[in-house]
This record gives sequence, structure tokens and C-alpha cells, in this order.
Amino acid sequence: MLIYHLRDLVMTRMAEGVEFRLTVPSLQISLGEKIALIGHSGCGKSTLLDILAMILRPTGVGAFRFRPEKEAPPLDVAKAWSQRDLNFMGDLRKHRIGYVMQTGGMLPYLTVRDNINLSRQLLGMPDDGSVEELAKNLGIERHLGKHPELLSTGERQRVAIGRALAHHPSIVIADEPTASLDPIAARRIMALFVELVEEMQITVIIASHDWGHIKQLGLRRLAHRTSQNSAGTVTETRVTG
Amino acid sequence: MSSPIRKMRNIFRLALTDYFYEWQISSCFILALAAVLAPMMILFALKFGIIGSMMEQLIEDPRNREIRPVGSGHYDPAWFRTVRAKPEVAFVIPRTRSLAATMQLKSSSAPRIIPTELIPTAAGEPLFHNNITVPTGLRQIVLSEPAARKLKVGVGDRVDGSLNRRHNGQSERVHVELTVVGITPLAAFARDGAFVPLDLVVATEDFLDGRAVPPLGWQGDPPLADERSFPGFRLYASTIDQVAALRDGLAASGIEVRTRAADIDIVQTMEQRLSAVFWFVAIIGLTGFSLSLGANLWANVDRKKRELSVLRLVGFRTSDIVWFPVLQALLTGVLGWLLASLIYLGVEASINRMLITQAEDDSPICRLLPIHFEIALAFTVGAAVLAAALGGFRAARIQPSDGLREI
Repeated sequence: MLIYHLRDLVMTRMAEGVEFRLTVPSLQISLGEKIALIGHSGCGKSTLLDILAMILRPTGVGAFRFRPEKEAPPLDVAKAWSQRDLNFMGDLRKHRIGYVMQTGGMLPYLTVRDNINLSRQLLGMPDDGSVEELAKNLGIERHLGKHPELLSTGERQRVAIGRALAHHPSIVIADEPTASLDPIAARRIMALFVELVEEMQITVIIASHDWGHIKQLGLRRLAHRTSQNSAGTVTETRVTG
Repeated sequence: MSSPIRKMRNIFRLALTDYFYEWQISSCFILALAAVLAPMMILFALKFGIIGSMMEQLIEDPRNREIRPVGSGHYDPAWFRTVRAKPEVAFVIPRTRSLAATMQLKSSSAPRIIPTELIPTAAGEPLFHNNITVPTGLRQIVLSEPAARKLKVGVGDRVDGSLNRRHNGQSERVHVELTVVGITPLAAFARDGAFVPLDLVVATEDFLDGRAVPPLGWQGDPPLADERSFPGFRLYASTIDQVAALRDGLAASGIEVRTRAADIDIVQTMEQRLSAVFWFVAIIGLTGFSLSLGANLWANVDRKKRELSVLRLVGFRTSDIVWFPVLQALLTGVLGWLLASLIYLGVEASINRMLITQAEDDSPICRLLPIHFEIALAFTVGAAVLAAALGGFRAARIQPSDGLREI
């Protein structure tokens, strides 16, 4: 039962005369899996996450299927991209995907409660106390009425995790969610995050530059290899798993 | 799937929360807009007020439509019928010899006898407005304000009219009791004058010429047998624009006339030139206004690119995203217009207070009609929404991941 099925995906980008190329010959992620994507910054982790979160269009793709529900057949994301169906992607994100960014990504004009509740509100989900419950689990219930600017970086990341989980998505994608924190806080928040997704039975993909942070959390590590051609004009990262 | 009403409510709520959370920046946008809009409104109000009141005076003052013959001629009833039939003629009535059109008026409340000029009148009298009754018969009279003041009479009072002639070597005086049915304002006629039906003016001339006037019981020579012709006329064009054409038509038939066409020309030329100057300044101002508004709102969308990307990340559609800048621009437009209108009203009041004594009458120098405020609002909101929508479409077109990673 695969939530993601990717084949022959290519994403290229030019920067300062160097071509960065991400290739994914094959990637399969099962529903409920916990995935780690480890690599130094600039290797293409964020690019792959954005593609998986359907906020970035790949340059070329053989197959891209997304199956967020057991009961429903897989959805053809490759076709939606080729048709530029941004609303299809928007609706999928709204219902099925939670995203935790490296920093913030909060709306400064909403309180912590409203930020966490944002996706629930969009979906018209009832105010059933789950926001408060989540905030309590994340240790930020005393900040619910504040605006994000009054919070520390660590607290903001907890809010970001809360917002990604609040609407019970099928998958949560986190791009270096603890990179901006000190190591002790980083470990604590990462452990809390993984514990929460396990408890809520949500598939998770976490990108990190430090395997040491997360190896004891029981995640499957995606293999990747970065190489450069002799002239130094092409940097290629291959991800399989 | 989500209902459209809930979606719009969410968009409204978020856009307004953002707008008021950033009240300092929002206020700056409103101020910037009002700072450009208010002077435009004042400029237009001055143009509209000054030119407008000049044109209004020109159009409203019937004396500007008057065409007066130079010297005396012979105008028979057929001529009057022809002239009256022309569409560009509003009013025409014969005049008798001016020396034979004066009557001595006396009232019981004033000691003096006032020699008063008789002006023939009839229904459609252009110098009458504000419901002045047109006199009929031989015993009704409308006095000019100076005459009424000197006679100390009002509407409904009676005055005694008398005429004096030397006939067959004898001095003769006749009297006629006249009822005042109206008084014209000073602006309409500034001398001692009495508007009376043509019949009374003709009777006066007949008597002074030594003839009898049976309806009034005045004795004398038998009345004229052949058709009467008149030495002059009172003629008014329908509009000021027709004065020149009418004058040229009369000149072509050998009748020399005097009009205020030259004055009208001056004002009309001035109106055209001032209008041209105004539109020149206005187009520059409006261009600057649109550019500054557009640049502000465009830059604002750029500033908010990351927040808009976050909204897309949580699942807002492209078409929804455009609503945020548009709603906020709409608010800026309406509030900016409101502020500009308040500034304008303040300036208008002081300009009019300062300059009202220099104005010829009560019409204010600086004024706008409600429709002008509405046009300003429509233009502002239109320009604001357009600029914001363009910026919004641009923000919505980029991939959400680009906006997110910008910092």
C-alpha cells in the first residue's frame, strides 16, 4: 500500500553557471512509514520535499502517483502537473498534506491558536478542542493567545508542527524542522514530533543534515548519492528508496 | 469539498485581520492615497466652482440672451409673428416710443410721484422668475424693486398711474388705478420700471399722442385706423448659444442689434482654456496618482509574497490568493477616498469662507457635487483593485515553493 510512487523524476536548476540536477529513478513510500532524508545543505533535499509536497513542478517525470487513502485509487500527480492543474494540487495540500518549514512559515497577524487552526478552519472542521490538545502535547498551550513574533524560535517550530498536524493529514513533510535550534532543544522537539505522528498514524518524511539527531527514532533512511562531473558544471543527486 | 461561502469568509477574515494587524503600514497607504487624491479633488472643485458659477450666471441671467435694436424702425404685427415662430426665439414683444412710455406713479403711502418707465410684458417674460404673476388687462402692474421701494408698496397694494399731455392747447391729466401683482428683484431690473401688458403701453402712447382710449374712458382724437407698427421690440433668444446666430440673422435682414455676444464669447473661450489647463494638470495628476497607488499596492504584494505562499501551502487556490491583495486594496481605496473627502471638505469650507466676499453672488468658488465624490471613489477603487489584482496574479503565478524559500 504505497502513498508515494515515483519513477524517473528529474528536476534541474541553474545557479551561477552550475547545473544542479536531482534525479529519482524510483521512490516508493508506504502509508504509515517514517522516512528520513539525510544530506548536507544544497544537495537537493528541499527540492525533493517540495516536489513531494506538490508545491514545485518537476522538470520531467515518468510516473508520480499519490494515494493518501487506502479506500481510494491512487491519484496521478504527473498528469495534474502536465495540465498545470494548480487547484488540484492546492486541494490535495489542504486535505492531505502537512508541511513544516525550516523556520516559521506562520502568518504573523494570526494568534498561535489561529495559526494552528488555519488548515482546520479552511476545511470547515469543528472546533472540538483538538487544537488545545495538540498545543498541550507540544507544550505551547500557554502561548495560544499570542502572536508568533512573541515566541522563541523553538516555540515557533512547535507551532509549525502543530499546524502541520492539526487537520490530520495523510502525510507530514518536514524540511529541517529543528535546524535553527540548539542541539538539546532540537532532539527534544524532533522526538516529540515523531512521537506525535506515530500516535496519530500519519506518514512522515523528515529532511535533516544530521543523521545523529534522528537515528534512534526508528526512521527509514533514503539512500542518495551526490556526484559532480569533471568540469564542475553539473552536480547531480540521485535518490532511491 | 469546502463550500464557497466558508472559503470567502475565511479569505475575508484573514485579509482583514492582516490589514488591521499591520495598521501602521495600512495607515501609511491610506495617507499616501489621500495625499494625492485630496489635491486633485480641490483642483477640480475650484475649476468646477469658478467656471461653473460663471457659466451659470451667464446662462441664468436673461439679460445675456437679450437682443436690442439700435435706433428705431418699423415693425408690423406680421414681422412679430414671423420672429415669434422661430425656435431660437424665447420671447418677443413690441415696444412703443420710449418717450411715450413713461407714467407717473403715486401711492398713498409715499409722498413723491415717481416717473416710471413702462415695459411691455406678456406670458413667458424672461425677466420674471420665482413665480411672479404676469400682469393682464389694463389695471395690473409688476413693479421693479427700486420703484416699489420708493412708492413703499407691496404685492396687492394699489398705485395711482397718471399721464399728462397738452392737447389742443390745453393741459390734460388722466388717472388709472393699478394693482401691484408682483415685484421683480433688483437683479432683473435696476431702474424705476413697471412691467405692464402691451395694451396699457399702447394706450399710454395713444393718449400722449392726443388720441382717445375708450376702454379707460380717456377722451381725444379717434384711434388709428390702419395697422399699427412699432419702433422697437424686446427680444430674447432661447439660449445664450443662439444669440449670435439670431443677431446675424437680424443683421442680414437689415436690422442692427446690440447683444452681449462678445461677453458670452469671452467667458466661453475662458471656460475652454481653463478646462484645457485643468485637464492638462488633471491628466498629469491622475497619472501620478495611478502610478503611485499602483506602485504601492504592487510593492505591498511583493512584500507579502511569503505570507501568500504560506496560504497556498495550506491549500488556498490560486484564484483565492488574488482576493487577499484585492480586498486589502479595496479597503485602502475606500478609506483613502474617505480621508481625501474629509480633507477636501475642510479645505472647501476655508476656501469658500476666505473668498466668498469676492464672488459675485452666493455660488461658492470651490464646490463638488455628490456625483464627483462618487466618480472619485469609483476611479480610486478601480485603480487600486486593478493594481492589486495584477500584483496578486503575479504572486499567484510563481510556484509556492519559490515564495517560501525567499528569506
